[in-house]
Amino acid sequence: MAAFLLEVADVSKVFGGLVALKSVSFAIEEGEVVGLIGPNGAGKSTLFEVVSGGMRPTGGTIRYQGEDITNLPAHLRRRAGMSRTFQKIRLFNNLTVEQNLAVAAMQSTPAGRTWKSEVQSALIRLRLTGLVDRKPSELTLADRKKVEIGRAIVGHCRMLMLDESLSGLTRDEADDLVGEILALNRDLGVTILVVEHVMPVVMAMARRLLVLDYGTIIANGLPAEVARNPDVITAYLGTKKGAT
Amino acid sequence: MMTRFSFNWIGIACVLAVASLPAWPFSDSYIVAAVIRTLIFIALGQAWNVIAGIGGQLSLGHGVFFGLGAYATAILFNLWGVPPWIGVWAGMLAAALVAVAIGGITFRLRGVYFALATVVISLAFEKLARFFVDLTGGDAGFALQFLGDSWWGLQSREPTPFLWPALALVVGYYMLTRWLLRSRFGLELQAVRDDEDAATAAGVAVFRTKLMGLLLSAVMTALVGTLHVQFYLTIDPGNAFGLFQAVQIQLPSLIGGLGTAIGPVLGGAVMIIANEATNWASSRFDVPGLDVLAYGGLLLFIVIRAPEGLSGPLSAMLRRRPR
Ligand SMILES: Nc1ncnc2c1ncn2[C@@H]1O[C@H](COP(=O)(O)OP(=O)(O)OP(=O)(O)O)[C@@H](O)[C@H]1O
Ligand SMILES: [Mg+2]
Repeated sequence: MAAFLLEVADVSKVFGGLVALKSVSFAIEEGEVVGLIGPNGAGKSTLFEVVSGGMRPTGGTIRYQGEDITNLPAHLRRRAGMSRTFQKIRLFNNLTVEQNLAVAAMQSTPAGRTWKSEVQSALIRLRLTGLVDRKPSELTLADRKKVEIGRAIVGHCRMLMLDESLSGLTRDEADDLVGEILALNRDLGVTILVVEHVMPVVMAMARRLLVLDYGTIIANGLPAEVARNPDVITAYLGTKKGAT
Repeated sequence: MMTRFSFNWIGIACVLAVASLPAWPFSDSYIVAAVIRTLIFIALGQAWNVIAGIGGQLSLGHGVFFGLGAYATAILFNLWGVPPWIGVWAGMLAAALVAVAIGGITFRLRGVYFALATVVISLAFEKLARFFVDLTGGDAGFALQFLGDSWWGLQSREPTPFLWPALALVVGYYMLTRWLLRSRFGLELQAVRDDEDAATAAGVAVFRTKLMGLLLSAVMTALVGTLHVQFYLTIDPGNAFGLFQAVQIQLPSLIGGLGTAIGPVLGGAVMIIANEATNWASSRFDVPGLDVLAYGGLLLFIVIRAPEGLSGPLSAMLRRRPR
């Protein structure tokens, strides 16, 4: 049997009376780049929270590296190499760019390497070396997004979950960032799960798409197939103007 | 580069000036005592700054840890003859236990629970201190048995011998804060302060970090409590656990710069100097109430003009000044 890096089985999440996730199941293999799409309020960010440990699911199980992590605290998931960014950027605003990365590197640097060299290589990879002493408030949106990604990949990172990292960027900035994200997958073998609203970008990045609608997975397959799926067209593409 | 350099030299000059104070021509025991009071005030601010300024956990009842340090040392000494250099450990241990209890219960929750708990615990300890009269002397307070000049009891008729330990404490706490701001533990505390969810996502054990920060801050505060009671020779429930005391502990950092190493030092010094100056002016011009009004007005002015504390504008000033 194929060994999955992440297995989400029958996961649900209820907020009061609102069912945000309804029996969601899917699996991701090591090294994949998977896109997660769906209309506003479909439950994408909630799924990220539940997988990364920010919220406990109401039901179901989550397995990572073959182990049940449903009740593992979020910070231990990060130390085990499962990283995420936030839909609305969250940085340590009173720390420098370098310190933002250092905090994370100190938690999960693999034995035999130093957190300083981990920070350095992440800064170089994301071309942030000129900004090490800046505070987040002094950076452009694109650079702040990079810092958040840097904080996620520094140290031990095996799986990266990006929640709309490209939104708000110009076309050039977005292309630039997509290149860097794909390089993480290509060079370091990081498994990537991206939530993205801009369809062409997702189609270009992901080799597989998951479509979430009202908390349910309604499609799971190759981007070209998913784009032709009638359910997806009515649920997502049909309701969202300009997304083709 | 220039800033660091001049800051360090100004700092060293200030420390030497204070250390040699008793030798200065105009100096007398009133001035020395005033400086010791200032140093104790600053050290309390520095201790609070660790959890509130660096860790972002608003303790509104830090008097608890101060009072435990002071009472533990004093009670052990009077009732069982335990010298303060042993009693101080009991005070720090008591503060640590209370810190673990408060933090253990509230730090898993978000929001105002921790701040509220510190207030409630303060009020409870104040009540307890007033109630157990046999042990604490109740409302009247507790006077340390006076031995005169004594190494055993760490007591002195003159204030001067307290100058150096108080100065050492402030310098030590300053160095500790500087180190903390760059250390792994300090970065974790600051990350938690800035954003708990992001800290968790970075792999930081948020609960443990807050708890350890409070523990450190509480122990630092209790140590100052011991110094306080050795110097003043008396402690009472309001002075130890009261909310006025707790507010006093917060002011140096708020005035000088929250979460910075120099902030509480600067803030504490400015506050005491301003207080002495307004006192002097009001007695000079014989207008009762002028001192409080002027002092309050000055603090208000600082808070409005420099909401981040004095340390920011001051370092900007030093940076701008030509050689
Ligand atoms: N903490 C919460 N408490 C209550 N309801 C919530 C909470 N978080 C999300 N929801 C609700 O759950 C549903 C799914 O929200 P979620 O943020 O996961 O959607 P999304 O797919 O990420 O949407 P978007 O594209 O707008 O980011 C929404 O109806 C939302 O209002
Ligand atoms: Mg979302």
